[in-house]
Amino acid sequence: MAALRHKLSSKFERHVSDQIETMPDEELFSFHTYNADEGEKTAYSNYSYWRSTLNSFKKNKTAVILVCLVVGILLFTFIQPLLPNQYDPNLVNNDPSTGIQYRNIPPYILTLVGNTDYPEIKETFWFGTNSIGQDLWARIWTGTRNSLLIGIAVASIEALIGIIAGVLWGYVRKLDWFFTEVYNILDNVPQTIILVLISYMLKPGIKTLIFAMCITGWIQMARFIRNQVLMIRDREYNLASRCVGTPTRRVIAKNLLPYLVSVIMLRMALSVPAAIGNEVFITYIGLGLPTNIPSLGQLINDGRQLMMSASLRYQLIFPTVVISIVTISFYIIGNAFSDAADPKNHI
Amino acid sequence: MNKKEIILSAKDVEVKFDLRGQILTAIRDVSLDIYHGETLAIVGESGSGKSVFTKTFNGLLDKNGTISKGELIYNGEDLAKYKKDRQWLKIRGHEIAMIMQEPMTSLNPLKSIGDQIVEAIRIRDRKISYSKAKNEAIGYLSDVGIRNPEDRFKQYPHEFSGGMRQRVVIAIAIACKPKILICDEPTTALDVTIQAQILTVLKEMKEKYSLTIVFITHDLGVVANVADRIAVMYAGDIIEIGTTDEIFFDPRHPYTWALLSSMPQLGIKGNDLFTIQGNPPNLFTEIKGDAFAPRNPHALKIDFLKRPPYFEVSETHKAKTWLLDPRAPRVDKPKGIMALQDLTAN
Amino acid sequence: MKEKEVLVDIKNLEVAFGTRKHRFVAVNDVSFQIYKGETFGVVGESGSGKTTIGRAIMRIHSTAKGDILYNGEKINGKISKSLDKQITQKIQMIFQDPMASLNERAKVNYIVSEGLMNLGKITEKERNERVTEALKEVGLLPEFASRFPHEFSGGQRQRIGIARALIMEPEFIIADEPISALDVSIRAQVLNLLDRLQKEKGLTYLFVAHDLSVMRFITDRIAVIHEGVIVELAETEELFAHPMHPYTKALLSAIPLPNPIAERNKTLLVYDKSMHHYETDKPQWCTLHEDHYIMANKEEFAAYKEAYESNR
Repeated sequence: MAALRHKLSSKFERHVSDQIETMPDEELFSFHTYNADEGEKTAYSNYSYWRSTLNSFKKNKTAVILVCLVVGILLFTFIQPLLPNQYDPNLVNNDPSTGIQYRNIPPYILTLVGNTDYPEIKETFWFGTNSIGQDLWARIWTGTRNSLLIGIAVASIEALIGIIAGVLWGYVRKLDWFFTEVYNILDNVPQTIILVLISYMLKPGIKTLIFAMCITGWIQMARFIRNQVLMIRDREYNLASRCVGTPTRRVIAKNLLPYLVSVIMLRMALSVPAAIGNEVFITYIGLGLPTNIPSLGQLINDGRQLMMSASLRYQLIFPTVVISIVTISFYIIGNAFSDAADPKNHI
Repeated sequence: MNKKEIILSAKDVEVKFDLRGQILTAIRDVSLDIYHGETLAIVGESGSGKSVFTKTFNGLLDKNGTISKGELIYNGEDLAKYKKDRQWLKIRGHEIAMIMQEPMTSLNPLKSIGDQIVEAIRIRDRKISYSKAKNEAIGYLSDVGIRNPEDRFKQYPHEFSGGMRQRVVIAIAIACKPKILICDEPTTALDVTIQAQILTVLKEMKEKYSLTIVFITHDLGVVANVADRIAVMYAGDIIEIGTTDEIFFDPRHPYTWALLSSMPQLGIKGNDLFTIQGNPPNLFTEIKGDAFAPRNPHALKIDFLKRPPYFEVSETHKAKTWLLDPRAPRVDKPKGIMALQDLTAN
Repeated sequence: MKEKEVLVDIKNLEVAFGTRKHRFVAVNDVSFQIYKGETFGVVGESGSGKTTIGRAIMRIHSTAKGDILYNGEKINGKISKSLDKQITQKIQMIFQDPMASLNERAKVNYIVSEGLMNLGKITEKERNERVTEALKEVGLLPEFASRFPHEFSGGQRQRIGIARALIMEPEFIIADEPISALDVSIRAQVLNLLDRLQKEKGLTYLFVAHDLSVMRFITDRIAVIHEGVIVELAETEELFAHPMHPYTKALLSAIPLPNPIAERNKTLLVYDKSMHHYETDKPQWCTLHEDHYIMANKEEFAAYKEAYESNR
């Protein structure tokens, strides 16, 4: 490419020097026709915000790999039950010959490399089994699916309510007082207590968990958006819109939200792992999902109880690895995307 | 200026920036001698490279910018070869100080202005006692025209108005006792009345501390008062340089003509002002010939083919335009510029 | 201007910010009239309240006291919906900083036609036509409509801002320091454009600036404002020829002259408010000459009058 450019430019140079040599002085020093409009033209860059965002995101290789990883994990959680020879995550597996549960069977690979304690096992438990003989492989993927769904659902609902409330809170001055009071009330009650209370009151389940997390979570998002809106609401371009009579709804949609895309994305990306973490916590204190709905929180909690015995530690390691990958990925992807969505980094 | 002693000399300086893989040539082979004790104004529109050029004097180029060619001789040393910050520390502040457009960017909002000046004095003279430094600082404050300097010594930047802050910034710069003071549009953010006062302060400081001042601005009107010499920059090159009188009364480059004739001070109600059409060239691409040619109504064919060299008009005055070539047709200066001579203070 | 028709009438306007405890009066008892078809200049330093007056007329700031009449109708405070719509169309504003006054995430097409969409339903085709027309009017190419603001230079951006105002077909434009953020080399372009548009469309301007140098070119009459109070008001040439108030004189002396010889011989005047003795003898709005008003107390007025007469 560079060579080609060099070739072209040297060709151009030769062309120029030819002209200088062949052109007589009188012509060289004659007036060039002048066109005033010509100067007005600027190089057309064909800029598009989303395309530039995508392009600059693509430059961050780590983030791209992690996106593939997270998408891959999510897809796999749905594909996994459809694969052949899979176990039901809630099925308690018994040894057909003895009728006794396959308790705490180590991962399949370990049994292959000469672990002779279980010579007569005929079935393959990839990640082993837990203390009542359920297949950990199936439980981990089902659990990951549930946890990710909780995380994504909570992040989306929080974002939806939070953005609407936050923009109104920041932009419409009359509502400031109302939202500030709501915030003061909600923020002064620890989120833990609300989570615990709701989990107690309602039937345990995924919906209950999502509801419990969103009921307090949106206000944080709203406050964040409000602060952002306050920062840009009185910039000149917003005054200009008001001066030509643009209704508030359109000012919000066209002037405010596009400026907040990058920070909202970062915030959403971070609230996915935060929600998963909350789920782990709720389960840890024994108020989470029922055991027939596996989740990462549950698996980690089960594994934690066996942590002290070295041979059973695999039951903690696998879910922890998955949750770490998910958390770190979302964090890095969020940051990368918010950088990419900032037009200062385009050009 | 009888005896001209060169304090800083730039030779064929080229500065390039790497913007995400694209190369921008901000300064294109600029040569300039700055004489001891003079005020040199560098005038140009935004993007002409006037700030970038002076930033090379004290190593303040952005990380992605490099001096790719040329040398900058100061005190027998080539500043263009400086790589480490440690080398620059000897120069920055001590030898070459800088005043920025926005005073708040150079002041620490959490420190009293007095302490900030004392700090500057102590960098130069480590052993000085606080009370001595304080006295000296109060002296600088009164030099730059701050009334009741003893009381204001303890105040914080936010307690000062924009013009006063800029005076404080000047005081801090002078406290370092630099040889060269670079003023990067120091009055652009200020009201006209304040601007005029700051210019006066700068002139006084130059006399008192025998400074060499490099004054950067986009407004030729501002420098008529302060400058001894004016360099006009366009698209990363100094296209004309001469004494202030020569530039105002006998400009030769069509761009200087255009700059001068578009001054709104020359306007009369009812008549159009002269305007420069178009935009400065894109510095990402290589520029052939005279960079101003596409906007120049007097452009010659050769302007598009070959870059003009400097043509000497007088010992102190030279310009890069083919119009000064003996073979070129005669082009008269626009009439508007003649009106400059008649322009008086009401 | 034979017969002067008043377009904007400002009566005892007061604009204040902050709560009762920390009240800051930005504009204090200001009255003036703007005639149809003229350019009325307001000059003052930053913080003098010059921008606030413009924004009060634009109804960005609410007024504390006084009236703003447009074509004889009161437009400050609570007004009817139909009047609001009418005023929104007829009064437009050009902002100071072209870098800050355009929505970076919208295409020029949207920015320019934004106001048009607020006036009522409009077809896509008609909208595009009007945008093309407005862009041509300010000397920009029609194909710029599909680009984003960051692709343009300061002068071009300012012209996009002017196109945004023009498309509304206004009668009255408030230009709030439209050139002070621009390079000197580009200022002339924008000034010429404003001047041409005024001639072609019979516009009336309120031109706000901190610098008297451009005022001579663009304005018919000038009001000099200091700390929220108009101190002198006169026709432009009259004001430049016979500035009487010390603040006006200080402003005039501060204009940078592009003439080194004149600059060297210039004496800079500095205005100090403490020179007035208004404790007992309160200042008033006095008529120095036909259409030349000044803020002075009795003693000062006598002195001004004498100096004025002897100078003519």
